[in-house]
Amino acid sequence: MTAYTEEERALIWLCACSGLEVRECCTLFRAADGDPVKLFREFEKFAGPVIKKERNGLYKEGNCQTREEELSAALAHMERCGYFAVTAVSADFPEPLVYADPPLVLFGQGRRELLKRQMFCIVGSRTTPSWAFKLGTALSEALSREFVIVTGLAEGGDLAAVRGALGSGNLVSVLPCGLDECYPADHTEIKREIAKKGLLLSERPFAEKVRPGAFQARNRILAGLSVGTLVLSAGEKSGTLITAGKALQYGRDVFAIPYNPGIVQGVGCNNLIKAGACLVSGAEDILAAYGKEAPSAAPEGLTEDEAQALSVLRQEGELHAAVLAEKLGKPAFEVAAILSSLELKGLAAKSGGNRYAIV
Amino acid sequence: MIAKVICYALIGLEGVPVEVETDVNRGVPAYEMVGLPDTAVKESKERVRSALKNSGLLFPMNKITVNFAPADIKKEGASFDLAIAVSLLKASEQLIGADISDTVFLGELALNGDLRPIAGLLPILISAKAHGFTRFVIPAANAKEARFLGGAEIYPAESLSAVVSHLVGAEEIAPLEMVEYAAASGIKYSADLKFVKGQPIARRALEVAVAGGHNLLMVGPPGTGKTMLARCLPTIMPDLSFDEALEITKIHSVAGILDEEGIVTERPFRTPHHTATTVSMCGGGNRVVHPGEISLAHGGVLFLDELPEYKRSTLEALRQPLEDGKITVSRAGGTYTYPARFMLCASMNPCPCGNYGSANLVCTCTPSEIRNYRKKVSGPLLDRIDLQVEVDNISYDDLTASSAGEDSAAVKERVNEARRIQRTRFAGSGLSVNAAMGEREIGEFCTLSRESEKILRDAFERMHLSARARARIIKVSRTIADLDMSENILPKHVFEAVSYRLQEKL
Repeated sequence: MTAYTEEERALIWLCACSGLEVRECCTLFRAADGDPVKLFREFEKFAGPVIKKERNGLYKEGNCQTREEELSAALAHMERCGYFAVTAVSADFPEPLVYADPPLVLFGQGRRELLKRQMFCIVGSRTTPSWAFKLGTALSEALSREFVIVTGLAEGGDLAAVRGALGSGNLVSVLPCGLDECYPADHTEIKREIAKKGLLLSERPFAEKVRPGAFQARNRILAGLSVGTLVLSAGEKSGTLITAGKALQYGRDVFAIPYNPGIVQGVGCNNLIKAGACLVSGAEDILAAYGKEAPSAAPEGLTEDEAQALSVLRQEGELHAAVLAEKLGKPAFEVAAILSSLELKGLAAKSGGNRYAIV
Repeated sequence: MIAKVICYALIGLEGVPVEVETDVNRGVPAYEMVGLPDTAVKESKERVRSALKNSGLLFPMNKITVNFAPADIKKEGASFDLAIAVSLLKASEQLIGADISDTVFLGELALNGDLRPIAGLLPILISAKAHGFTRFVIPAANAKEARFLGGAEIYPAESLSAVVSHLVGAEEIAPLEMVEYAAASGIKYSADLKFVKGQPIARRALEVAVAGGHNLLMVGPPGTGKTMLARCLPTIMPDLSFDEALEITKIHSVAGILDEEGIVTERPFRTPHHTATTVSMCGGGNRVVHPGEISLAHGGVLFLDELPEYKRSTLEALRQPLEDGKITVSRAGGTYTYPARFMLCASMNPCPCGNYGSANLVCTCTPSEIRNYRKKVSGPLLDRIDLQVEVDNISYDDLTASSAGEDSAAVKERVNEARRIQRTRFAGSGLSVNAAMGEREIGEFCTLSRESEKILRDAFERMHLSARARARIIKVSRTIADLDMSENILPKHVFEAVSYRLQEKL
């Protein structure tokens, strides 16, 4: 069993068992002059004046009577599930987070050593178009060689980042709910895999479900952990823009991939670029910003037809297979075969219907 | 006196001989029917009585007993009327000298003595001929259906009095002239591929699907011509052979949906609405088991528009017939087997609002809505659909060249050629098309070069394909190679096969 100091144990109780909002925990923490042990021992004294709202009984772990019992029940649960806790007073509390509305405790599952590494955040809305999804996967894969990728667990942009970084295991996924829960529910399998190969983090009590405001709070941790944030897709009012806004607030870099004007999934990205975010067209743009070098791309063995199709596709960005066939003067089914080949080589992607885009 | 007349009952598509025995005896006037007749058969009492009287014949005021033998099969419908009337006439000695021993009488009587057409005549004739009967008296309205039988004397009669004068030799009915079946090359389908504007990819998918007998799923926003494309499918399918035509006609005859022609020459195109019940789709009924839509589509196309809107249970019921090519329906009254070898063509929208993946329209569905929508079609059913193609609209500005494509006839020629190659390949193995291949045949006939094998492996890793998708892709590549008249499956064939799949799930 991981040995926790008395201070850590007090913070774990506060965050896992007290049933208070994260904000309230922080207020109490400050009221106790930053001494968690004092807070733990004389909780009622501090809680009385600070927690104004009357509650019908605080959250209890099982039928525990005392705080000590609650704490040991929580620690037993963590031990059983393989969770660990990193508290604000722990040695390996991620440094970048200290300057960014830090949570008092982060519960984790997986490779704890990732916390010490440099992190980079990749986010995108749930309706990320498939070409951006593929690009995001590729970027995440390339960046995960240099950084630990930080993201969420939702569909779309988050999933692209997860897919790309899961192979190397340099992946941190921060949940908006407790570690016992999974949101969205059908990503349970992916969550389990991340816990095995990478790291899951959450500031929420273990069994807490997603609550209003949980995503915004989670997004501040995404931004706070990372040296920079890349936005794969964002509508005009997307939640990913909160992450980008927090990153700016904490003085981190913001990157975005550009979209054609008029594509709703990309309005937010283009707005970010207009406001000064770095435009990203490849992993090298991000790596260069941190003084790292991109690995040279593998040489491509393309047939003549494929090279020709690719060059037309590069000019247009996105084309319907039938239109491409007409431009190349070939029958559509031959072009379909060429496009599949390019797709398998990771150079093109189906972007909807029979339209293809370069990656 | 006792008279015996042969008639036929239908069980599924099989005709079963039924002897109608009539005994007219002295006694209190009575009219009894025995031998498991159903209500419609019992009602024939009154029809026969009226028809006899109105044809100027005598209804004997004696004790009449009509027996149907064998007694253990349930007799249904009105097709026994003529046989009952004839046996009654014979038993009451109104048909002196007429030989009716080896003639089969079929037909329903109207009250004025006219003969009405019956459903299921052709399957009865075919079974009866197989049982050795060669002389038939049938309603004139059924004549067109019967004229393809060959090797039989068939007398189409307008009315009961015509039958009587024929039997007593007063006025012979001219036997029906038999017609040779000509592969109906001249049939005009209302649809034709030349009317389809653009859509080169979907057209090609149609061609591949028909060439290899693959089932087809078209996914695309509303108004992109999915239905129109589907309607073109029968026009590029190979012509019906006589045996096929006869089999389809039998089914349609039993269902009572034969048209004027008498024999089905066009491949059926059935489009059951998505409110269709499982029974209407697979066949059923409480007494007679009627063939369902999948049997009516036998030899042709079953088109399911808006696939996810169908009831889940109805769709799942299609899985077994898709595999076996027939459907066995069991009811209290018996077990019936109908052929159901059809090509399944389905269409659906990419998402509930229809705009997912569209170039210029915005999809308003959430990922979970889209997932739930697509989940309505089960994996096992999708696994039986080899070709899945996206159909989308391109604006006319994007396509400059005259995009009027080939007509159906040209495509059909290539399909016929590919089918010929397949027949040669599968000679003696009981298969006829690539889609029917199982694991064993795939191993035997679809050897992949090392290069093609590698492409498949790459495709699996990149596209997260399931193991079943592998067999699908290989079978489709085999068909594409056949269309290309290539002995081996080349990389370009695999690449093309890989392209006929849907944009991955979210």
